[in-house]
Amino acid sequence: MCPEIVDEAAQVWFGPQHVSAHGWATKLTIVGDYIVECDPNAGYFHRSAEKCLEFRNFQQGALIMERLCMLEAFLAEYPYVKAVEQIAQLDVPERARVMRTIMMEASRIHSLQFWWGQFGAELGLFAMTLWPWVDREYFLDAFEELTGSRHAVSYSAPGGVKYDFNEKSIKMLERALDRLEDRLPKFRDMILRSPTFKLRTKKIGLFDAAQGLKWGLSGPNIKACGIPMDLRKDDPDPNLAYEMCDWEVPVTTNEDHPGQCDAYDRMSQRFKEIETSASIIRQLLPQVPEGPIIDPKARAKANRLPEGEAYGRVEGTRGVTTLFLKTADKAQTPYRAKIRGPCFASYYSLKHLVPGSTFADFVVIFGSLDPYPGWWDR
Amino acid sequence: MGVGTILQIDIVGWLSGLPSWIYLVISGLFSLVWAFFNWIWSIVVWFWALAISQIWWLFKAIVFPGLVFILFSIIFSVWFTRKVWGRVQARRGPFHLGKYGGLQVFADAIKLIGKEIVIPDKAKRWMYRILPSLLLIAVLVPFAFIPWSNEWYIADLSVSLIVTFAFLTVVPVVSLLSGWISGSKYTLIGGFRAANNQFAAEIPLIISSVGPAMLAGSLSIMGISQAQSSLWYFLLLPVNCVTFMVSATVITALVPFDAPVADSEILFGWRTEFSGIYFTMTYFAEFAKQLLFSGLIVALFFGGSYGFAFMPPVLNFIFKFLIVLFFMILVTSSFYRMRQDQVTHFCWKYLLPLSLLNVVIAMFAIVYVPGLAQLLGIGG
Amino acid sequence: MGFFSTLGDIFRVLRHTFRQTMTRPFTYFYPFEDRYYPDTTRGRHIHIRKNCTACAQCVKACPTIAIRIDKQDRMYEKDAALHFDYTRCIFCGLCVQACKFNALFHTKIVDLSEETREDLQYGPDRMGTLERKPLKWRGRTFR
Repeated sequence: MCPEIVDEAAQVWFGPQHVSAHGWATKLTIVGDYIVECDPNAGYFHRSAEKCLEFRNFQQGALIMERLCMLEAFLAEYPYVKAVEQIAQLDVPERARVMRTIMMEASRIHSLQFWWGQFGAELGLFAMTLWPWVDREYFLDAFEELTGSRHAVSYSAPGGVKYDFNEKSIKMLERALDRLEDRLPKFRDMILRSPTFKLRTKKIGLFDAAQGLKWGLSGPNIKACGIPMDLRKDDPDPNLAYEMCDWEVPVTTNEDHPGQCDAYDRMSQRFKEIETSASIIRQLLPQVPEGPIIDPKARAKANRLPEGEAYGRVEGTRGVTTLFLKTADKAQTPYRAKIRGPCFASYYSLKHLVPGSTFADFVVIFGSLDPYPGWWDR
Repeated sequence: MGVGTILQIDIVGWLSGLPSWIYLVISGLFSLVWAFFNWIWSIVVWFWALAISQIWWLFKAIVFPGLVFILFSIIFSVWFTRKVWGRVQARRGPFHLGKYGGLQVFADAIKLIGKEIVIPDKAKRWMYRILPSLLLIAVLVPFAFIPWSNEWYIADLSVSLIVTFAFLTVVPVVSLLSGWISGSKYTLIGGFRAANNQFAAEIPLIISSVGPAMLAGSLSIMGISQAQSSLWYFLLLPVNCVTFMVSATVITALVPFDAPVADSEILFGWRTEFSGIYFTMTYFAEFAKQLLFSGLIVALFFGGSYGFAFMPPVLNFIFKFLIVLFFMILVTSSFYRMRQDQVTHFCWKYLLPLSLLNVVIAMFAIVYVPGLAQLLGIGG
Repeated sequence: MGFFSTLGDIFRVLRHTFRQTMTRPFTYFYPFEDRYYPDTTRGRHIHIRKNCTACAQCVKACPTIAIRIDKQDRMYEKDAALHFDYTRCIFCGLCVQACKFNALFHTKIVDLSEETREDLQYGPDRMGTLERKPLKWRGRTFR
């Protein structure tokens, strides 16, 4: 950067009250219409969740995890439950495993629908915000029918799940899927084939797979580069039932820039994610076996845990979500819990992604990474 | 003569003359006031005589196609836009106040007017106070030239099309200024984007309007709309109609081209810092602009008040006007926002050649096929 | 990206939007009509004191310390009074699961808004019943 340019530069704080700021503040140095420097500042959403986890017992801890990211509540609470199960060496009944998997995929769909509505609003089409959110209501109604709450579901417990499927909740889940599959062609017309969408997102925020891996990106952001990196396949979880169905890791390749992904690829990757999740649920729903939903001794076993360490991880909507749990002997609460959210990496990758783009594209780049402040400030 | 009795002023005589002196002063003052009142009164009489002789014109300027009607139609268009947007977004729009939420806009306007006006420290205060009203005036004046029908119009200049465009050119200047004086970086960016929009779309807009003007042989909007009594220019100049509509959308800063007020990027663009009544003015000015362009499109391309014989001419105009407005709102809620350089790119690379193409075709048709105009029943 | 295919895409988008204007809205007229709540809804609690045994398991299970138990306040043989603080409650359902004696349940009532903070602290008299003051708004009565 030559000094004359720096003299002309202006500094603009983007956030934290800005409408598309997702609750964070980024200092942008702009010259003319171009951003030359981007300084992300995390910390506006800090709720000290890790410390809170140290004061909650093993039944209550999952509640805090799901409140970190309400949109993927089923997925967010799972790493904690997984870690507790691993330390306590609990067996999960077959039925609970399948049910968990189904609800986690439904949660993924609903989270992605929320994101794509939000992205539509950031690109200036408010109708695109509310159309996916209408479909999302059907999923929320299904969640409510099953667990009694629309967002804060508190579904998984160590050793199984808390609420059993009934006829109506399965019917509502199927209705939500029908609605989703019915509307997907319309959304393909409105988003992926819309000329203005292509104008705004093609060749915006390009990065290649090596860069993405170096920055620590995961999930759809790295799959959009063409790398089938997915924990559901790479690290099959014995407490989940992904091996029971036949599916492929969805991958997007950019024809003009092989090995790279732009905002458009990230959008189409998330379309494929939704389709994959829907097909997984469709395959698993008839396969739900009969049996108990929770190990009857699990509650007593999870009351006091032996000394141990565990690392629970799951392929979340936004990337790999992990939780490291360490317990002392006969502990009622964790000794240490460390959360690794996927969005911290994607937020700080803006520092390398944004410089050189225009001020208007900043929103597009940031929105296309699917940010959620709960995951980077904990 | 005693010592010390010599007085320069005969005080007794002076005192005895005092009443007449005061009378003189008072009568002088009174005559001044009287003359002033006479002068004012003569003006009133002159104005009244003028008003009586022009009562019909006054009624038109103030009540029907004039100020009151326009203000009410702005309020209606706000309501209509919100309702249509609500429908497109699977919502209901306003419904609590009045029938179908009809009074909601009045309530909003009263609330906005009653709000506290917060002027930023870095803003230029007098400019901040003047600019919104200037903007509203600049947008409202061209409504005088909209020919609602052959009787119901306010003014008809021979160059009213050009005057309308001249007034509309004021708008981005006001936007740029208000973005500049608001004392915020976001408003400054918004102001420059508004100027950029005008810079991009003004030439295609004016060239698109050249087509109808050429076919009608007139630069008056009234003349153009009267020339379409047998055939709408939409059928002769379809490409011009579309380019006019698109560049009108650009100039009005509606959604696919709303970079100046991009709410997810620069909050509310150049309007961010306006509050209370000033915000209301800029908000209404945008809708007034949208209405104005709908009216222009109807007058230039959709035959003005001509068309369906079973309706009176004014209703004819208003019916087409509403359809065009609905279409503009529909476009508003279908597309993603374009970046400001893409707007310029689009306007100059696609709109300008397209509008020129149709104008050139019409030109050749007029010159080389002289019988055509006779045949189609158009002037020019 | 050909010119005419782009035009076709534009018209397809417009067609979708136009069709949407002809459909019914999805939202409810909220105060006049309410949505359907399933039986599992985790709304405010109801405390059935007849079954209560004052074991205080709900108090131990609560992650937010929203429940306070008063063992002196007795209506039956061995019950206790529960004070719920709905400014703290997160409706997680752990207390209902912890109750082994069918004495604490969630109800379908979720619109808990009150005028003051104190009104959200439910004493034993309000925990035992679902009745409450009707809401008057613009001359109409709701609830």
